[in-house]
Amino acid sequence: MAAHPGNGAEGPFVLAVPSKGRLQEAAQAFFARAGLELVQGRGARDYRGAIAGLPGVEVAYVSSAEIVGQLAAGAAHFGVAGEDLVREKVADVEARLELLSPLGFGHANVVVAAPKAWIDVRTMADLDDVASAYRARRGERMRVATKYVNLTRRYFAEHGIADYRIVESLGATEGAPASGAAELIVDITTTGATLEANALKTLDDGTILRSQATLIASLTAPWGANARQAARDILARIAASEEALKSREVRARLPSPAHVVVETAAERFGAVSATGEDIDPHGFVALHCARGKVAELAGWLLTQGAERVSVAALEQTFAARNALYDALEKRIGAGEH
Amino acid sequence: MTQTILVDSASQAPRSGDPAGHTLGGAGERALDCLLAAGFRRTEPPILHPAAIFLDMSGEEVRRRLFLTADAAGEELCLRPEYTIPVCRAYLSSDKAGKIAEYSYLGPVFRARAGQVGEQTQTGLESFGRRDAEAADAEVFSLAMEAATAAGGGSLVARLGDAGLFDAMLDSLKIPEPWRRRLRRGVARGRSLEAIFSRPSQSALAQPGVLAALESADHAGAKALVEDLLAIAGIDAVGGRSAGEIADRFLEQASLRSGQPIEAEKRTVLDAFLAISGDPDQAAVELRRLTQSAGLDLGPALDAFERRNGFIAARGVAIEATRFSAAFVRDFDYYTGFVFEAHDPHVSSAKTVLAGGRYDALARRLGANEDIPAVGAAITLDRLMNGGER
Repeated sequence: MAAHPGNGAEGPFVLAVPSKGRLQEAAQAFFARAGLELVQGRGARDYRGAIAGLPGVEVAYVSSAEIVGQLAAGAAHFGVAGEDLVREKVADVEARLELLSPLGFGHANVVVAAPKAWIDVRTMADLDDVASAYRARRGERMRVATKYVNLTRRYFAEHGIADYRIVESLGATEGAPASGAAELIVDITTTGATLEANALKTLDDGTILRSQATLIASLTAPWGANARQAARDILARIAASEEALKSREVRARLPSPAHVVVETAAERFGAVSATGEDIDPHGFVALHCARGKVAELAGWLLTQGAERVSVAALEQTFAARNALYDALEKRIGAGEH
Repeated sequence: MTQTILVDSASQAPRSGDPAGHTLGGAGERALDCLLAAGFRRTEPPILHPAAIFLDMSGEEVRRRLFLTADAAGEELCLRPEYTIPVCRAYLSSDKAGKIAEYSYLGPVFRARAGQVGEQTQTGLESFGRRDAEAADAEVFSLAMEAATAAGGGSLVARLGDAGLFDAMLDSLKIPEPWRRRLRRGVARGRSLEAIFSRPSQSALAQPGVLAALESADHAGAKALVEDLLAIAGIDAVGGRSAGEIADRFLEQASLRSGQPIEAEKRTVLDAFLAISGDPDQAAVELRRLTQSAGLDLGPALDAFERRNGFIAARGVAIEATRFSAAFVRDFDYYTGFVFEAHDPHVSSAKTVLAGGRYDALARRLGANEDIPAVGAAITLDRLMNGGER
C-alpha cells in the first residue's frame, strides 16, 4: 500500500465525480439520495467541492476519462465512472481498483456490430470465418472501427479472431462501415437505435460488456486513518439508502408476545426485526422486508391476529455491518487502529 | 521514412553510434563479423515506421508490444519491433529492388513487455532475390547458427519446419479452402486436429433453409438469391463485403453441410503427417513412405525438402542439433517455405534465441508488384546472453 502519511499530515479524501452532463446530474442525485449533498465551490466553474457535513472530504469535478486515470494513479480515493472506460483504460483493473457498487444509471453496452447486409454472420464464430476469408481473398485484414482498442483486442483474442485491424475512431464510429473507413465496429449502444439507423446489427454473442456508472475505489490511493473514516461514512450512507430503497417497514400489533411471529416472518419472508433481538412484550412488531414480499407478509400477519398492518417506505436503514466498507477493507488491509 | 544507410564494409559500420551492442560485451559485433565475412552487407534501416505495416502483417495482437507514437500529421508510428520488415522496406525502396541483395544488421528493436526493459539488441541477416531457394535457405540457417555460436550461444538446438510441405499436403488431400485456413492457423497455434475440427466455425443455426436451397446452386444463382434476400429485407449492401462474397460463403457452408468436414481417411493421413518429427533425413524417408501408402504426391515440395536437407548437411551444421517437425508452421501468411528457430536446451524455460524462415510473399505485401524470393534470420542477443531467460 501507499505510504501512510502520519501525524496529521494526511491529505483530504478525494471523491472524483463527472464534471458535466447527464452523468454529473445522475451522480449528484445518487449521492443526494444517500444523504450526501455535494456542494460545488463558488460558481459553476469551480472544479473543487465538498460534501455537506463531512469535513475532510474533497469533491473533484473532472472528466470521465480523467476520473479513471486519477483512480488508477491513486490520486483519488473514490470515483464515479462507467465500467466501459475502466476496463478499457486500466491495464490491471483487479490490482488497482475495487468496483464497489453499480449505481443504476449510465447504462450502455459495448458491442460488436456488423452490417445488416452480412446475413451470413450472426456470431463471433461466423466473424472469425469471414475475417480469415476476407484476408485470404484480399490480402488485407478486415477493419474494426472503435475507441475501445483494448476491450476489442481482448474480446477478439478470446474468440480466437486474429485477421482484423483496429481503426481508432474518436467519434461517430457507427458511420465507419457506411463511409468505407471500416467493415465493422465495436461501440457503446443504449437502445440500439443508432446501430439500426446505420444498418448495423449486434452479433448474438457480440456483447463485450454491459456497462453502467459504478462507484470505484482506488487501491493505490493513500489510505490513512482519515481516508478510511471518510470511506466508512460514505459507504455506510450509500448502503443505508440502497437498503432502504429495497425494503419497507411493516408494523402491526399482535394479541400476544411475538417471538414466534418474528422468527416465522424471518423464515418465510426474509423479514428482519427493526428493533433487533429485543421483542416487545405487548405484541408490537416492526419488520423490515423486501418490497416484493410486503403484501404476503401483511396478509400473513393478519392471519396471526393483527387488526391492522401498516407499511411505510424507509429513507435510510443503517446497519452495524457495513458490507460495502468490509469489501473495501479486505483489499486495502485493516490499517492502524 | 525511406532513407537508408547501406554500409559497404565492416570498417565503415556505425558501431560507435550503437550503444546497445556494446553493453553486450562485443557479442553483437562477433556475430555480425560472421555475417559480414559471408558477404552480407550491413544495413541500418530507420527505427520509426508506420505502425499500420506491423499491424497489417502480424495482426492486432502485436499492438500491445509496440511502442507507439504519432507524427505531426497524426499518422501512427512505432519503433521497429523487429528488423525483417524494416530491412525489406529499405531493400524495396533501393535500386536493388528485385535483384539479388544480401544484408546483415545489428541494433536495437523495441517491444513493450510488462516489467522488463523494452529495448533488446538483435543481429541478423536477410537474403533477397536468389532463385536457388534451398541453397539460400541452408546458407541463411547455417550462418545464423554460426553467428549465434560466435556471439556466445554455445549449444543451440534448432527446430525446422516447412510451410511448403504443409501446403503441398493439404493440396494433395484436396482440403477445401476454409479448412486449409483453419488448419494452418490451428496447427500454428499448437492445437490438435481434434480441437481444430471440433471448433465451431459458424453459428449453429446458420440459416438451414438458405443452405438447403443453395445445395445445388452455382455462384451466379447464389449471388442472385442473396441480392434478392437483401432487397426483400430492405437492406442496402454497405460494408466491405459484396453480395457475391456472402453468396460464396453460403455455398461453402452448403457444400460442407453434409457429414464430416474432412473424411476420416484424410484425417488419419493428416495426423500421421503432423506426427512426423526428428532427424530431417529420416523425416524425408517417412514422408515418402506415408505419401506412397496413401497414394499422394507432394510433388516438388518434397524434392525441395530433401535438397535443402542436403545443403544444410553440406554446410556442416551438426545434424544432431536439428530436429524437423512437420507440425511446425507459423501463422503468418508471408512465410512460404522453410522455417526454423533455435533455443538453448540447457535452460528449461528457454525462449527462442534465433528464428527465421523464407518469406517470399512479404515483398508483395509491402507493395512490390510480384513475390521476391527472400529468406532471413534474427538473433536476439539479450536472450543469448541471459541463457534464454529474457
